[in-house]
Amino acid sequence: MSSEVSGISPELLLPELIMLAGLVALIIVPNIGDARFRIPLTSLRIPTLFGGTRFEITRDPRIPNRITIATLLASLAAAQLGLLSPGGWSGEVGNVLLVDEFSILMTNIFVSVLFLCAVATTHRIPADPGATAPKPISAQPSSAWVARKTEALYDNRRQVDFHILLLTTGLGMSLMAKSTHLFMLFVCMELASLSSYVLVGFHKESEEGGEAGTKYFIVGSVASAVGIYGMSLLYLWNGDLSISGLSSSWQSMEQLDPLATAGIGMMLVAFGFKVGAAPFHLAIPDAYSGASSIVAGMLATASKAMGFVALLRVMLLVSMPVSGEAFWFFVMAVISVVTMTWGNLAALSSDNPKRVLAYSSVAHAGYMLAAVAAIGSGLADAETKAMIATAILFHLSVLVVFKLGAFLVLSTIETEGDSHRIEGLHGLARRDPLIAGSMFVFMLSLAGVPPFSGFLSKLLMINGIVTASAGTGGASSILSWASSVEPVFWLAVAVVLNSALSLFYYLRIGLVMFFEPHEGTAGLSCNFPLRPFIMLLAVLSMAFGIGPASEFLVDIASDAAGALLP
Amino acid sequence: MGGEWLILTILSLVPIAVGLFLLILPHLLPAGTGNQVRGITRNVSMGVSLGLFVVSTWAAATSLGKIDWMSIEFGNFALENTPIDLIPYIGVSWHVGADALSLPMIWLTALIVPISMLVEWDAKRGHVFHPLLLLMQGAMVGVFVSLDLFVFYVFWELTLIPMFFLILMWGGDDRRYAAMKFFIYTFTASVVMLVGILVMYFNTGSSIAERSFDLDSILASGSLMSEGLRHLVWLLLLIGFATKMPSVPVHTWLPDAHVQAPTAGSMILAGVMLKMGAYGFLRVAVTAFPESTVVFTSLLLALGMASLVYGALVCMGQTNLKRMVAYSSVSHMGLIFLGIATMQPLGIAGALFMMFAHGIISPLLFAISGAFKHHYHTLEIGSMRGIAHHSPWLSGHMMLGWMASLGLPMMAGFVAEVAVLIAFWMTFGWLVLLPALTLIITAVYYLVSMQRTIFESNDPHQGILPETLHGEPRDITWHENAGMTILGVLTILFGILPFFFWDMMSFWSSELIETTLAVAMESEGVKP
Repeated sequence: MSSEVSGISPELLLPELIMLAGLVALIIVPNIGDARFRIPLTSLRIPTLFGGTRFEITRDPRIPNRITIATLLASLAAAQLGLLSPGGWSGEVGNVLLVDEFSILMTNIFVSVLFLCAVATTHRIPADPGATAPKPISAQPSSAWVARKTEALYDNRRQVDFHILLLTTGLGMSLMAKSTHLFMLFVCMELASLSSYVLVGFHKESEEGGEAGTKYFIVGSVASAVGIYGMSLLYLWNGDLSISGLSSSWQSMEQLDPLATAGIGMMLVAFGFKVGAAPFHLAIPDAYSGASSIVAGMLATASKAMGFVALLRVMLLVSMPVSGEAFWFFVMAVISVVTMTWGNLAALSSDNPKRVLAYSSVAHAGYMLAAVAAIGSGLADAETKAMIATAILFHLSVLVVFKLGAFLVLSTIETEGDSHRIEGLHGLARRDPLIAGSMFVFMLSLAGVPPFSGFLSKLLMINGIVTASAGTGGASSILSWASSVEPVFWLAVAVVLNSALSLFYYLRIGLVMFFEPHEGTAGLSCNFPLRPFIMLLAVLSMAFGIGPASEFLVDIASDAAGALLP
Repeated sequence: MGGEWLILTILSLVPIAVGLFLLILPHLLPAGTGNQVRGITRNVSMGVSLGLFVVSTWAAATSLGKIDWMSIEFGNFALENTPIDLIPYIGVSWHVGADALSLPMIWLTALIVPISMLVEWDAKRGHVFHPLLLLMQGAMVGVFVSLDLFVFYVFWELTLIPMFFLILMWGGDDRRYAAMKFFIYTFTASVVMLVGILVMYFNTGSSIAERSFDLDSILASGSLMSEGLRHLVWLLLLIGFATKMPSVPVHTWLPDAHVQAPTAGSMILAGVMLKMGAYGFLRVAVTAFPESTVVFTSLLLALGMASLVYGALVCMGQTNLKRMVAYSSVSHMGLIFLGIATMQPLGIAGALFMMFAHGIISPLLFAISGAFKHHYHTLEIGSMRGIAHHSPWLSGHMMLGWMASLGLPMMAGFVAEVAVLIAFWMTFGWLVLLPALTLIITAVYYLVSMQRTIFESNDPHQGILPETLHGEPRDITWHENAGMTILGVLTILFGILPFFFWDMMSFWSSELIETTLAVAMESEGVKP
């Protein structure tokens, strides 16, 4: 298997290598033209193909998109192969990358998100490749003209940039899931993060886009800086940043070392920003509503999953004592309850569908953090821990289906400039009943209504939390019962109450599509590749909730959890 | 025969599959073919629905001959399948079965849906309307057959969605308000119910592998809980089920939903959906927590009495025909709680028969009200008078339906009312005067509304036609007439010969009392 020279087996990194190849192709192909090099002193001209007037085919703005889709499809196929081949792929690559069931699952999540994003982007490419930005009619450009210019620029000019950034995001995320060394983990995470900052601010000509990009970049880099500082404290304490080394030092530690504790705490801030936990989530709603729906969907699913990978690695592997309560249990529990409640309350009072989905994404982070806290309580036995981790991974997987699906539906109305107003969704049922039906399914799934996958993942989490807290108590009166249950139990109660609260804003989005008439009468301009994918996601959000497909996915998540936990 | 277990699965899943298929298919096909498909949609829906009616009748009848329904003891089920795992991690399986509690309801559903399709055969946008009714049928049968509370809950919620669209798309002027109110009310209530179910689920075992949503283990969990928790869960379930039934004070969605819903929607809503509340209450809450039921008997009594009396009094003041019929449903549903509160086999059997009888009579009433709306464009009592001359068939059906609902002997409703009242007298003595006198109020509002609408007028040949009517008054169409006739005949049939279902109901009720409630009463120190 492994090549003798370098000591690594490159086939384990096939999805990443494919992405790298795609990246190179993406840079080269759109630049191919009829440039010729004249050999000095002769009249012989040799075509160099690079530069000059580009050929018709390489000038086509759809080319970067097609290359990206092909790359991500190949990469997804490779990742699926790793997931589904008997025994799966596993092995170390170098000393810093570990390919196992967990990282393969995460790679699948990341690559499928980016693939769907790339498919959704086809929608935005104009039919006329030579379209230019409109010229101002008068000296004082009107706001309508600015908007049109923005649209044209966004649609036309920067296809290559956008797709390169998509691929680097994927590359960073995918490698990050495989890192077993904190330094590697951080570098990969920054690769993905920096790309995503630019993606958020990609719509820079518009006011919201610029604001979103700036905010997200500043807050994100501060969070990263804090995280790096925390990591340096850990290095100071241990002298080694490999996760296994840190973990064994932590477990042999007799008393909490202040350096290590502070280091972990600071890294919690960095990862808390990535997953969108309160109080580090404040930039998130602005970022989501300023970015295009496609990028927002990527942030809410892939980027969040990336944050959770880091969080799980650091919290559950590094700073988890052999037995008993982790020092961060209480902090995590409080953060989780605050996160989910804040997210839901803010979503309830928002009128912008993108912001609602952003806050709902914050709330979902809260549910998963509650599950992490339940592991940290130290009350759970190994089996229950694995169950809770399975629930988190399962939730991250199905989020791709229904959260991204909801953002993709928003992206279909985005070209009308309506995705930031709830009115944009009005009358969607009349314009395209199947897309509206899919959106309804996504909303029910997000709200956690059975039999959709959102319910199953929430129930698995609650199930684990309740099991960790050893049942629902057993005293005869309510008061003595309340004092008899473990504190962890209240996390389950918080999740249930918050889910009930969240129903209202999800249903509101779901219902306006059917209730309110649309101002115009035009059909929805949802193009061919995206429409079937949205419907497929709607079917999947049910299939992963009940029946054999759900069993299959839970099995995969359970294997991954087994590989993750020691 | 080996395939019997499939019957219930077919009855619940086939209509859902066909309904969804018919709804989605035209959108996937090119426009021309899509419109051709739309043209035959209602015929396909009706065909499937009729086929399922035949299947369910055949299942009930052959089972009546071959499987003795009397030998299906409480806690056992006929036509049961071996559970098929759906989500093994949380103990969800596809497990269906029928007993004396659910069989009449299954048959009722299979009967009412094709009749409501028939009555609204000419509905606008029938290519959506009829498949939605089919979806409705599958979801409701699913509620009655599933023996796994997860699946039960899924079907329970699934019934909301087609009904929501029926009200929203084919409803009256105020349909948006009514649809929203209906959805939010019943959805919130069922979330409360879900919390109750989850608490039961978490008490079915101490580790994840032991927990299961299967009815047997869920019901057994009741005895594992502490007393306080048990009462709490019972109350949570009561909120969920009583809202569906509906009982005062959580009934306010019903009049709005009924008045705005299209005729077929009202028929199904009143005929079958309301029964889901009573069914779930008996199936889950009473069976799992007999002690709590005994402890809270007075609450049931109060709720039932309030629904019965308040519903009847409100009916007296209604000027809208459909609203009156809707409140009379609230009133009649009160009798079901009273029947359960008696803790007598006769009372519970009466409550069960009430569910069935009301399931036949109230669709008839709503079909009649709908016909008034359809042909006279108004529902105001008093704006039209002396209709008998213009619409003799409609008036005839109205007389029959109104008489059946007020409890005339020889009609299905009478059997149930008498059984509940006798049992009530046996338990509560002279308190029976209150429900019995309420029946007089019922008679008053029905007779008054009937007299004013179809008889009273100065000029017997002309009557007073409502201002909303343009053109000549006419009688009901053939399909409305056919649907009403079938329901009317069945009302009389089950009034004279209630034994088809009565016997198995009373057997089931006495076993319910013997195996659970009597034991509970003893442990709670209440004299049976």
